[in-house]
Amino acid sequence: MVPTEHHGDQWEPYVDNGGSTLAIAGEDFVVIGSDTRSSDGYNINTRYDPKAFKFTNNTVLATTGYRADCKSMAKSVQAQITKYAHDHGKEMSVEAMAQMLSIMMYQKRFFSYYVFPIVAGIDKEGKGAVYSYDPVGNMERVGFRAFGSSSALLQPFIDDQLGFKNRADIKPEERELHLPDLQQAKNIITDVFNGAAERDIYTGDGLQLFTITKEGGIELEELPLKRD
Amino acid sequence: MVPANRRGFHFDNCKRNELLESKGSITAKFTKTGTTIVGLIYKDGVILGADTRATEGPIVADKNCEKLHRLTENMYCAGAGTAADTEYTTNMIASKLELHRLNTNRQPRVVTAASMLSQHLFQYQGHIGANLILGGYDINGPQLISVMPHGSTDKLPYMTLGSGMLAAMAVFETKWKPNMERDDAIALVTEAVSAGIFNDLGSGSNVDVVVITKDRTDYLRNHSKPNQRVPKQTSYKYPPGSVSVIRKEVRYHSNANQSPAAVVPEVVMSES
Amino acid sequence: MGLKPGEVSTGTTILAGKFKDCIIIGADSRTSMGTYIANRVTDKLTHVVDSIYCCRSGSAADTQAIAAIVKYELDVYATSHNERPTVKVAAKIFKRYLYENKSRLTAGIIVAGWDHQDGFSVYNLPVGGSIHEMNLALGGSGSLFIYGFCEEMYSPEMNREDGLKFIRTALKLAMSSDASSGGMIRTAIIDENGVQRDDVLGSDVKTY
Repeated sequence: MVPTEHHGDQWEPYVDNGGSTLAIAGEDFVVIGSDTRSSDGYNINTRYDPKAFKFTNNTVLATTGYRADCKSMAKSVQAQITKYAHDHGKEMSVEAMAQMLSIMMYQKRFFSYYVFPIVAGIDKEGKGAVYSYDPVGNMERVGFRAFGSSSALLQPFIDDQLGFKNRADIKPEERELHLPDLQQAKNIITDVFNGAAERDIYTGDGLQLFTITKEGGIELEELPLKRD
Repeated sequence: MVPANRRGFHFDNCKRNELLESKGSITAKFTKTGTTIVGLIYKDGVILGADTRATEGPIVADKNCEKLHRLTENMYCAGAGTAADTEYTTNMIASKLELHRLNTNRQPRVVTAASMLSQHLFQYQGHIGANLILGGYDINGPQLISVMPHGSTDKLPYMTLGSGMLAAMAVFETKWKPNMERDDAIALVTEAVSAGIFNDLGSGSNVDVVVITKDRTDYLRNHSKPNQRVPKQTSYKYPPGSVSVIRKEVRYHSNANQSPAAVVPEVVMSES
Repeated sequence: MGLKPGEVSTGTTILAGKFKDCIIIGADSRTSMGTYIANRVTDKLTHVVDSIYCCRSGSAADTQAIAAIVKYELDVYATSHNERPTVKVAAKIFKRYLYENKSRLTAGIIVAGWDHQDGFSVYNLPVGGSIHEMNLALGGSGSLFIYGFCEEMYSPEMNREDGLKFIRTALKLAMSSDASSGGMIRTAIIDENGVQRDDVLGSDVKTY
């Protein structure tokens, strides 16, 4: 069955292809994890369809939702970023890219992309930045965010582990004083994705772990996840 | 109201529920064993196989559930569909077969179980969502019969059912041959269920197998475990003091026959 | 009335014809669930009693259940009347179930065979509960494609060999045009001496 064809008597323009993304901002780094499974119903379309991509030497965009819309949107963003670099002779900053994406999404307010994007990078002050969006372009800068089919499993866990919600010893306001180091952040991401692959049928196959630092640029690690 | 003279079962409430659901009201969601179950006949008997995942929508409800149900010593039944329906249907038939065995003093036959199952499911007109593969060995030799929710039956030398049935059948259609050896047959069943486990999102975790021969039944629980959990990178133990104590209270059992000295605290909440 | 959701159907071609010295019944072997073939070697030619057979089309569950009930009823009939049931009696019992439960059933059945009283007979019982005695009965979704062929080629004067060839050719044509008919061609030749059953592949049947 072709996803964008007529289902019964109603035309369905959107399909949720599943998968999850998770970004954590540290003091001077960001890590972005995403699984590589793409599915439709009980069917796996492919075990390797990366959701996160490098856009500049400083930014990564990770998107869940409808794969066709994700790719179409990413292509438009990449075109704008390339154009910006040619016009201004410099790379776009993560702040600029984040704002631009919000505008591009709102421009499709009444036939929006079915996407849940996260933009991650190092901001002008050298700090880790994570921006999250809803499908029509509502943007928010956050310290960490989980999106996709496992978001209901991942977000409460990182709210507890990194946001210190409902903790007696550390107040949520003191979060900045207890930011994870790079290794801690990476460990949490691998652990939660392994956990998500256990309980969410749409998350699995492979994990891509992007690390962005000011000195090291963007690094990508690939790890296996459960394939059942 | 249903007229008193109306014969047979009636499913008016099912119609009502469908109407309510179509108007947007919330109805009960059942645990479905979005499943891969398979069965085949080989040289000396019959083999059934199943995965062990139970799902509630997109969430894995049970990572190691049992989908191979024992009916009698010489008969097993693999179930797919609504978990409660397969469980209760097979339990009821198992109990009826045992009474039948006691009454007749004979080993129950596979066709007897198949008739009981199909008549029961036909009576309920598909409202009992049980998709079953019945396998057994009796005086007529090894037998394999599938029973669908509306009560239809099929007799075949190899069969697959559940959401992973297409993946598993692809394996059977290329590799099954008549009169296979025991070890080859177990390996083929495992391969067919694994095809479901890895290619169908409704199926997952481990492979259960049961081998039924003339005078022996071997239930191989978790015969294959290709999806073990990987160890965690970090410990997530909370340091003492992470949880705030809102109220502290100590309560004691009061027991007339016990001396006050023997009274044990029931609940003690400690303060950090 | 159509099939209920998820129901297994014998989207079928079934055929029964009276010939010079025998009855020949035939069917394809496909059982489908939507686009999936649930059984590619189905036997839709179901033995009822003695030399009486039925060909099943429609819902697998409904037709299997009815065939089993009628078989039982005819066994009781034979014992209590001390007399072998005729094809006509069998057909009328089938009809009674189809007619009295027409709102609940999706079943099109052909009853055919031989008995001591009437010799060879063929009864067509389409969905709804009517009954038609005829020389050649067609049923199932694939039959629509071969009315012309049957009209042109059939004759009750055909001998056994020509009759079998006719039935097989008709089924082959139906199976090639109808997506829910397929698999093998199963036939049964019924005469006063008994029943002879044969299965062939569609590709083994030569067309004209």
